[in-house]
Amino acid sequence: MNMKTLISAVMLAGLAGTASADEKTVTLYSSNPEQAIEAVAGAVKDKASDIKLNSITGGSGVLLRRLEAEAANVQGDIFWSSSFNTVGAFEGVFQAYESPELASIPEKLRYPGNLFTPSNVHVVVLMVNENQLGDLPKPKTWTDLLDPKWKGKIVVADPANSSTGYTVLWGVHKMLGDDKLKQLAANVAVSSSSSAVQNGVAMGEYAVGLAFEANAYPYVDGGQEEIKLIYPEDGTFITADFAGLVKGAPGGDAAKKAFDILMSKETQTELLKTSFRRPSRGDIEVSKIVKLPEMSAIKVFDIDEKEAATQRNAFLDSWRSFAAAGAK
Amino acid sequence: MIKALDLRTPWPWLSLAALVVLITFILYPLVNILTASFGVGDVENGWSRLLTDPRGLSAIVNTLILAAIVTCTCVLIGVPLAYVTARYRFFGKSIIALLPLITLVIPEVISAQTWLMALGNNGLITRFFRDFGIHLPSFYGWFGLITVMTFVYYTYVYIGTVASISGFDVHLEEAAQSLGTSPARSRIKVMLPVILPSILASALLVFTMVVGNFAISMILSNQLPLLSVVTYQAAVSEGGAAPVMQSTFATVSVVMVMLILFFNRWIVSRGRFEIAQGRGARPQPITGWKGAAIGLAASFIVVVSLVPLAVIAVGAFTVSRGPVMQWGNWTLANMERVFVTAPQPLVNSLIYAGAATLIGVAFSAVVSYLIIKKRNAVTPWLDYISSVPLALSGTVLGIGLVVSFNAGWLPLTGTATIMVLALLVRRLPFGMRSAQATLYNIPNSIEEASISLGSPPLRTFFKVVLPMMGPAIASAAILTWTTSVSELSASILVYSGGRETLTIQVFRLIGSNLMAYASAYGLVLIAVILIPIVVATKVFKVDVFASK
Repeated sequence: MNMKTLISAVMLAGLAGTASADEKTVTLYSSNPEQAIEAVAGAVKDKASDIKLNSITGGSGVLLRRLEAEAANVQGDIFWSSSFNTVGAFEGVFQAYESPELASIPEKLRYPGNLFTPSNVHVVVLMVNENQLGDLPKPKTWTDLLDPKWKGKIVVADPANSSTGYTVLWGVHKMLGDDKLKQLAANVAVSSSSSAVQNGVAMGEYAVGLAFEANAYPYVDGGQEEIKLIYPEDGTFITADFAGLVKGAPGGDAAKKAFDILMSKETQTELLKTSFRRPSRGDIEVSKIVKLPEMSAIKVFDIDEKEAATQRNAFLDSWRSFAAAGAK
Repeated sequence: MIKALDLRTPWPWLSLAALVVLITFILYPLVNILTASFGVGDVENGWSRLLTDPRGLSAIVNTLILAAIVTCTCVLIGVPLAYVTARYRFFGKSIIALLPLITLVIPEVISAQTWLMALGNNGLITRFFRDFGIHLPSFYGWFGLITVMTFVYYTYVYIGTVASISGFDVHLEEAAQSLGTSPARSRIKVMLPVILPSILASALLVFTMVVGNFAISMILSNQLPLLSVVTYQAAVSEGGAAPVMQSTFATVSVVMVMLILFFNRWIVSRGRFEIAQGRGARPQPITGWKGAAIGLAASFIVVVSLVPLAVIAVGAFTVSRGPVMQWGNWTLANMERVFVTAPQPLVNSLIYAGAATLIGVAFSAVVSYLIIKKRNAVTPWLDYISSVPLALSGTVLGIGLVVSFNAGWLPLTGTATIMVLALLVRRLPFGMRSAQATLYNIPNSIEEASISLGSPPLRTFFKVVLPMMGPAIASAAILTWTTSVSELSASILVYSGGRETLTIQVFRLIGSNLMAYASAYGLVLIAVILIPIVVATKVFKVDVFASK
C-alpha cells in the first residue's frame, strides 16, 4: 500500500467514525473511571440512539478549572462528578436543573437550589491486603491504625489534590480530634492521587489503603482474594458525589436528556453492577445486586459538608504541618 | 552573509509568511505564559509568591539535582555501551541494535509501572532481598526516580555517541600510539576531545528531558516536590482564569532549559574539531571471558530496558476482571476492543500524527532551505524561533496553547486542529535539524547551475534541491512520526471529547488501573511506531538514526 492510499483509508475510517446526519453530540466531563463512563455511554446509546456521548476524563479539579476557562467558548455539557466542597467552588459555571429523576433522591442528599444533582454516595473503607499484614491484626477501627506499629503500612491520597483524601482526613479530624490525626499522620504514606491508593494496596505496596468503597471493591470482585474491605466499627464517613449541567451547554436539550439518562434507575443500577457506585436514589436495593452491605448496616459518623468546605484551607495547612512532623 | 531583501524573488515573501506562522504558534503562546507569571487582574505577582513558597523553591532545587544525577548516570551507562558496540564484536551484540527503538516506543507510564513491579514495596527484587534481611530504600522518591529515568534516558546518550565513535578516524589514534602514547592515554587525549561535543549534546538533552519529565515524576515522586509536578498541580488548582503560578513555574523551566541550550552552544563553539571523513574503526571481535563479560553486561542493560515491553505484550493478551489481572489465562478480548469496540483512539492517532508529520516535514524542508540557502534579514529569526520548542516541556507548550487559543481571535479549543498543532509545534525541531544538516552538504553551485540554465528559482527548488534532500526528509518524517505518535504531555492538556489518541487512552486506562486494556492499546501504539521504522530501514534503506 502506498502512502496516498494509506492516508485516504485512514481519512475514510475517521469520517466513518464521526459523521452521521442528525446525530447530536453531548460531551461529558468526567472524573470517573473508564468502566463507569462506558456504562453511561452504553445506556445513552440504548435509550437515545440519536445522541453520541463523548467524554473527557481527568481529575475533578482539572476538569472544573477547564470548564471555567472555557466559559467564553463552552465545550462541555455535563460534569460528572465530584464532592460537595469541590463543585461548590464552581457554582458559576453551572445551571440549575431539576431532573425528573430528582424525585427518587432523598432530600437530605440534594444540593441547595438543585444546581447540582447527587449521583451516588461514597463510603470510606479500609482496603486491606491480608498478605501484607505480617504479624499485625486486621484493623477494626480508626483507633487501631494509630499504633506506631502501622508506620509506613498505610496509604492515603493527598487531601489537597483528592476529594477522597480530604473526606477521610477531615472525618478523622472531626471524629477523633487533632491529637489522634497527628498520630495517624505519623503512620501514613501520602500518594499524589486516589487511584494510586487502591493500586498500591492491590500490588502489595501497602497493607491498608484509606479509600472509597466503589474504588476498592473492584479488586474483591476481580477475585484478588487477599483484598478485604473493612467498614470501621467506630463509624465511617460518607460523601455524595454531584453531577451538574454546564451553563450554556452546547448540546441543549440533548444534554438534558443525557443528564436524565445518567440519573435514571436503570443507569444507576448498571453503574452499581459494573463499577460499584452506591446510588443516591432511594429505590435501588444495593445488597440484592452486588455483595456490598446496605447503607443501613453501616455505622456512619455525620459530617457537615459546608463546614468541611469553608474550613478547607485552614485544615489543609494544619494537615501539612502534621504530615511534615510525622515524616520525621 | 546577509543580503538585503530582494523582493522580486519569492524567498523574502516566503520567509515573512513562515515568520508570521512561527510567531503565532510558538512565540505568542510563550509570551502569554511569561506575562501571566507577573499576575493576572488582582492576583499577586507569581515571582514574589514563589520566593515565599518553600515547596516551590525546593521543587526547583530537587529538579536540578535530579537532572544532574540522571545525566551523570546516563553518561556512565550510555558512553561505555556505545564504545563497546562501536569498537568490538561480541556475543549478543545484535540485540543492542534494538536499543534506539526502545526509548521511542515504550510509554513512560508503563516503564514506571513495570519498575514498581520489580522494585516497589512489594516488588520481586525487593522481596528477594528482604528474605536475606536486606531492606532496600523506598522506591518512591530519589531511588525510584533516578533508577527509572536512567533506564529510560540513557539510550539518548547511546544514540548520540555511537555514531561519533564509529565515525572517529582511527588513524589519529594510531598516530598517537606510534608517537609513543599508551593506548589508554591516546584514547583520552585524542578520541575524547573529538567525541566530547556529541556526549555533551546528548547529556544536555537528557538534562532537559528530566527537567520536563511528566509521567515518571507524577507516578514516583510522591512527597518529593519536583518542578513538573508542582507546575501541573498549579495548573490544576488555578485553571485558565488566572494562570499565575503555573506560568511562573513554566517560566522557570523554560529559563532552566534555555540556559542549558546556550551552554551547549558555547561548548560546541569553543572547541571545534573538524574531522575529514576518515576511516572508522572496524569492530574488533573479542572472545573468551572478556568478550563474555562485556556481552553479558551490555545485554543485561538492554534486557532490563526491554522488560516493560514484555510486560505489555503479555498483558495485552491476559484475561482481566476490572483491575485484577488473571495471569496465565489468555484472551483476544483486549485486542478486539482496540480494533473493533473502541477504535477511535487508533484512528485519531493515525490522523493527527500523520497530519503533523506531513505538515511538519514540508514546513521544515522549505524553512530550512530559506535559512541555509536564501539568507536574508528574517531567516536567522526563523532559525531561533523554530528551535524554541526544544526548550519547552510538553506541559508548558500545552498550557501556552490552551491559554492562547481558548477563545478570542482564534478559538481552537475542541478542534482537531489544536491536537495537530500541539504535535506539530512540539516536534518541529526534529524535522528542522534533519533538513538543515543535509542542506549544508548540498553545494550552492548545483543550484546556481540549474538557475543559470534558465530554470526559475521555485522550479529549481522542487526539481533539484528537494530530491537531494530526499533521504534527510525521509528520516525527518520518521522521527516526527514516531515522536508525535508517542506524545502525551502537551496533547493531554489540549484534547477534547472523542479526540483522544492512543497515548492519552493508555494514560486514562492506567489511571483507572485497567492494565489489560492499557497494555492492548500500548502494544498497538508500539506497532504503529515500529512498522514505519521497520519499513523505512528494511525496504527503503533509510538511516533513521543517522545523527550527523
